[in-house]
Amino acid sequence: MRRGWVIDLEKCIGCRSCMVACKQHNAGPRGTWWNRVFTPGSSEHMIPSPQGKEYFLPVTCQHCKNAPCVRACPVDATYHQSDNSVLIDYDRCIGCRCCVTACPYGVRQFNWEDPEKIHAREEQSVPDYRYGYPREFYKDGRLVYMPVRYKGITEKCHFCVHYQEEGLDPACVRCCPGNARYVGDLDDPMSEVSRLIRDRDGFTLIPEKGTDPSCYYLPPKRKNSIEDGAEEGAENGANHE
Amino acid sequence: MELIMSKKYKTSLIISFLLMVIALILWAVQIHYGLILTNLSNLFSWGFYISGLAFFVGNAAGGLVLSASIYMLGLKELKAFARLGALSAFACVTGAMLIVLPDIGQPLRLLNLLLHPQFLSPLIWDVIVLNCYTLLTLTYFYILILPDLTGKLSFLAPKKISDPKAFSEKWARRLSPLALFSAASIHIVTAWIFSTQGSREWWFTAILAPDFLSVAVFAGTTVVLLASALLYGTGEEHTAAYKIMVKIILGALILHLFFMYNEIFIKSWYHAESALHVLKILFQDYLWLHLIEVIFPVVAVYLLFKESVLQSQKKLVATTILLLLGVFAHRYLLMPGAYNAVPLSFLPLGQQAIGPAWSYPIALGRSAANGDLFSAHWAYYPSLVEVGIFIGICAYVFFFIACVCKLLPVLTPTAAAAATTTTTTTTITKSAQ
Repeated sequence: MRRGWVIDLEKCIGCRSCMVACKQHNAGPRGTWWNRVFTPGSSEHMIPSPQGKEYFLPVTCQHCKNAPCVRACPVDATYHQSDNSVLIDYDRCIGCRCCVTACPYGVRQFNWEDPEKIHAREEQSVPDYRYGYPREFYKDGRLVYMPVRYKGITEKCHFCVHYQEEGLDPACVRCCPGNARYVGDLDDPMSEVSRLIRDRDGFTLIPEKGTDPSCYYLPPKRKNSIEDGAEEGAENGANHE
Repeated sequence: MELIMSKKYKTSLIISFLLMVIALILWAVQIHYGLILTNLSNLFSWGFYISGLAFFVGNAAGGLVLSASIYMLGLKELKAFARLGALSAFACVTGAMLIVLPDIGQPLRLLNLLLHPQFLSPLIWDVIVLNCYTLLTLTYFYILILPDLTGKLSFLAPKKISDPKAFSEKWARRLSPLALFSAASIHIVTAWIFSTQGSREWWFTAILAPDFLSVAVFAGTTVVLLASALLYGTGEEHTAAYKIMVKIILGALILHLFFMYNEIFIKSWYHAESALHVLKILFQDYLWLHLIEVIFPVVAVYLLFKESVLQSQKKLVATTILLLLGVFAHRYLLMPGAYNAVPLSFLPLGQQAIGPAWSYPIALGRSAANGDLFSAHWAYYPSLVEVGIFIGICAYVFFFIACVCKLLPVLTPTAAAAATTTTTTTTITKSAQ
């Protein structure tokens, strides 16, 4: 079993619901985002780059098979679970940030200060309101989720491990209004994710780093805009289709 | 040697002690508020402290260079400086371990390094080799000072050794290959912490470990030269030894410049976008610091070849400090090229006409000055807390060397007067107490 994602860039409308759902369900502290969506080529999200080929790219932990963060961690705080997803033991992490440096996808987030302090400082309409899954969650005896993080430790996407036992998909998959996200077993050639990758030329991000990610992307179809009409034939090759 | 008794010496001890206390307070404050007091972010996650680690590890090479020169190359002129070399190595390597502590988000969990080591991590190897090196330099230092542990200090000397001088000589010689090996290992393994980071174009190169070695040889020797200038002064009897040290510094500096520009040349020749990004950071954003890292050491070595500099204590101290500033600039420049070139950079699908590669913004974990929560660039500069703690560690290295020199027979007369070693040193020790 190798738990993996497929994200269909054709279906992604860039609404960032997955970012918000992830933060809501996982009690992300201010400034911490396990999940990001941006418009490649553009400095502002949802504003197309000058050439007009607009598409959106969600990036979260890629749960790499050859994960540089797991190799770099000096205390085995970040590790591969049996389904290959990469988890962090919040009770073990010493906060050296070797993994933050090791991750080429920039998904690892450090708690630069006590999240409770941020909570107290920020203006809250309902002071004691706290969002997110409210209980600590242990997997194989290790603390892989906690609603209020310790200061000085690293955190990141844990594939919604706290929902797996209930048979629920990750929050980002469930909330996606375009059903752009799929989750399944990459080791099973008959699974939906494997079929999608095969049929629609799934690709991974920066494969030259050799990380073997478990997150695959399906390329977006070519958009037909007015200015594109004339040069349609010439640019077909660029669309990975 | 006259310095040990002077008023200047006492003032400098008090100042360095105060700087250490300030650093300790700053660390306590930082533990309370978190690493938010540094200017680091998720994008730029190592800074001044880790530059400091590389700096002090490099400076700890002095002991090795001297012992190898004395016992393996037969340079007897340096013998009088062997104790100071071992002592400075010990001070610098413990300083290197100390400066990592404030970089740790959860210092109380450091025991996890012993309880749950993960042996694929170069950081664990570094913990092991740094600790071994600390023990070895301590042992080596003890063996070197053994013949002079007489009088009030005789309680430190083992009773069973009948001829401490011969014993010291024999074991210093026997241990020197081991010292050489373990000293090389701290630079190589520290370099591996960086060069195994495959996601960072700036570090992911096989040249980094050899380059760390070459920097260590000239930086470590410079530290010994600086300490000698401060504690022995610049009398004529030392000039011959200093000249040898300057030659060692020159050789290693040339090697370092070759390694560095060799790497830069190959990167720029292949012209890959990712490599050009890194070089742009070095030669555009940080050109001034790059000039410092090259010009300071080159000018310093040029000056060190002048007799007038070798014979004036003030000039010699200033020149060696100039060189060490260049070394620190070099260590500091490890960081921007690694972090401000975001690894997740690519030409967006179907947008190859736009170029250059686009970098995916990273959630910073704190607000940037302009309010951004995501960015592909972080203009890092050290905060006052980071600088204060770094200065405190420098003060520790100075304070430690200066105190031990007063308490233990570190300062021996030069080789020329070696015959009378024991008596003179005893007098110094007595008057020091």
